[in-house]
Amino acid sequence: MRETDTQAVVAGAAIHLTGLRKHYGDVHAVDGVDLTIAPGEVVALLGPNGAGKSTTVDMILGLTSPDAGEVRVFGRKPIDAVRAGLIGAMLQGGALMDDLTVGETVGMVAALHRRPMPVAEALRAAGVEELAGRRANKLSGGQKQRVRFAVALVSNPDLLILDEPTAAMDVGTRREFWQSMYSFTESGRTVLFATHYLEEAEEFADRVVLMRRGRIVADGSVAEVRALAGGRTLRAAVPGATEAVIAALPGVKEFELRGDRVAISSADSDATLWALKATVPGVHDVEISAVGLEGAFLSLTADETAEPVR
Amino acid sequence: MNATYLLTEIRRNFRAPRFLIFVVAFPVLMFLLQTNVFTKASDPNHTQIAAVIMINMMTFGVFAAATNSGARLALERAVGWQRQLRLTPLTGTGYLAGKGISGMLVGLPALVLVPLLGVLAEGVHVDASGWVRIFAGIWLGTIPLVLLGLLLGQFGTPDSMQPINMLVTLGMGFLGGLWIPIETMPGWMHDVAQIMPTYWVLQVARPAVTSDMVVSLPQAAGVLGAWTVVLGALVIRRYRKDSARV
Repeated sequence: MRETDTQAVVAGAAIHLTGLRKHYGDVHAVDGVDLTIAPGEVVALLGPNGAGKSTTVDMILGLTSPDAGEVRVFGRKPIDAVRAGLIGAMLQGGALMDDLTVGETVGMVAALHRRPMPVAEALRAAGVEELAGRRANKLSGGQKQRVRFAVALVSNPDLLILDEPTAAMDVGTRREFWQSMYSFTESGRTVLFATHYLEEAEEFADRVVLMRRGRIVADGSVAEVRALAGGRTLRAAVPGATEAVIAALPGVKEFELRGDRVAISSADSDATLWALKATVPGVHDVEISAVGLEGAFLSLTADETAEPVR
Repeated sequence: MNATYLLTEIRRNFRAPRFLIFVVAFPVLMFLLQTNVFTKASDPNHTQIAAVIMINMMTFGVFAAATNSGARLALERAVGWQRQLRLTPLTGTGYLAGKGISGMLVGLPALVLVPLLGVLAEGVHVDASGWVRIFAGIWLGTIPLVLLGLLLGQFGTPDSMQPINMLVTLGMGFLGGLWIPIETMPGWMHDVAQIMPTYWVLQVARPAVTSDMVVSLPQAAGVLGAWTVVLGALVIRRYRKDSARV
């Protein structure tokens, strides 16, 4: 589906997963994932709880070893990529040590790496400069997240992996966080982030990967993934129209008729509209809108969807 | 081994109030208390008894430091800090070595303060070679105790660590003869004492101050060496299992 799946990109890929599987007892947490992410891409990993996002992330980081399949990060095994300081990560629920200050924590992690950025620079980039002297137990949830972002940044990684990075942040902090992310990705670095906030994926990701039950069910740009979910919604006032008339229109996937008003979910909104105009001459107040990523998310990850979309 | 990591570990130990009370103040106070309860200054054997108690409390201090230090592992595992460190070039060996070495270094306050008071307040007198034997013996004898602390920290949870450590430190200290002379114990306890690494740490240092109930240095060193090998293997095994799972 994506042009990036070419040999040339695979060779230089930031992340390359082939046939990745991991099960815990009877649960297939990750059930055959193939994914290639090119350097410089900002990719959102979406999916409901239990879709296998965190397990996938853990295998990319080398914290969990796959039952089958292979992980390559910049062509290396995860553990070698970690040793070389190529990966920075913010893990879900990873806490900070309460008996260290922010500056000491980031400083210690920097000292463990071979080519870290200056500690002050990492603190500034994460927006926690003024908290350097504070102990972790004196920080708010959002501040802790930003400190953990500084910990992930300080190794000066080429690939940044964030598992639910904005979970404990309020709206304002979340915006600041993504602003600092922007300046990070401007320098051409690769980011993979798992999130529950669809608007974050919509706004910040070049590419969206949707997981469900351990598999990738959709992969593409935000617009492509939206389109997969079935085009557009058409709303109009249709005096005198019956359900049979609406159902017979081309492109209609689903519709809801209430009195004179209809809402049609259409795979081809143009065709639907022209046919509607011809069969219901009194049609007016037409409104066509794109299905949001949320609509795509819901329809692609719903349990009824038996087969992967692509 | 990374110096910043090691220094940070030591600094963290000293920041815990529990550490300062239990590991530094407690052995010192117990030393002063026991030397005034079990003997009187007028007792002709006073300085010798004080010297034996001094060795007991030095050993207790380094033991408490070792288990206290190991308890951090439980917390770091539980809150995901260990996972975060696994995303740095720090290896598992480096992580455990840092914990082990800092566990030994944070025993130094008790190892210095108790004999300082022994000399200044209780008139303990030991010759130079005796001091070397006491310091080096107890400090190196801490190695298996530090490993025991790391092992406990790998099994415990943050909530269970305090009671576990209390039980182990006081229990193994008691059975090893740190609190009551072994010769006053019933026969079966005397046998149990022979298993305790704490007993053998005492046996390394005791000959410097008394000829009562002592064994040869090679024997004591041999038993402690065996404890080190066994506990070290268990710590590494457990770490491997643990990091494969999380």
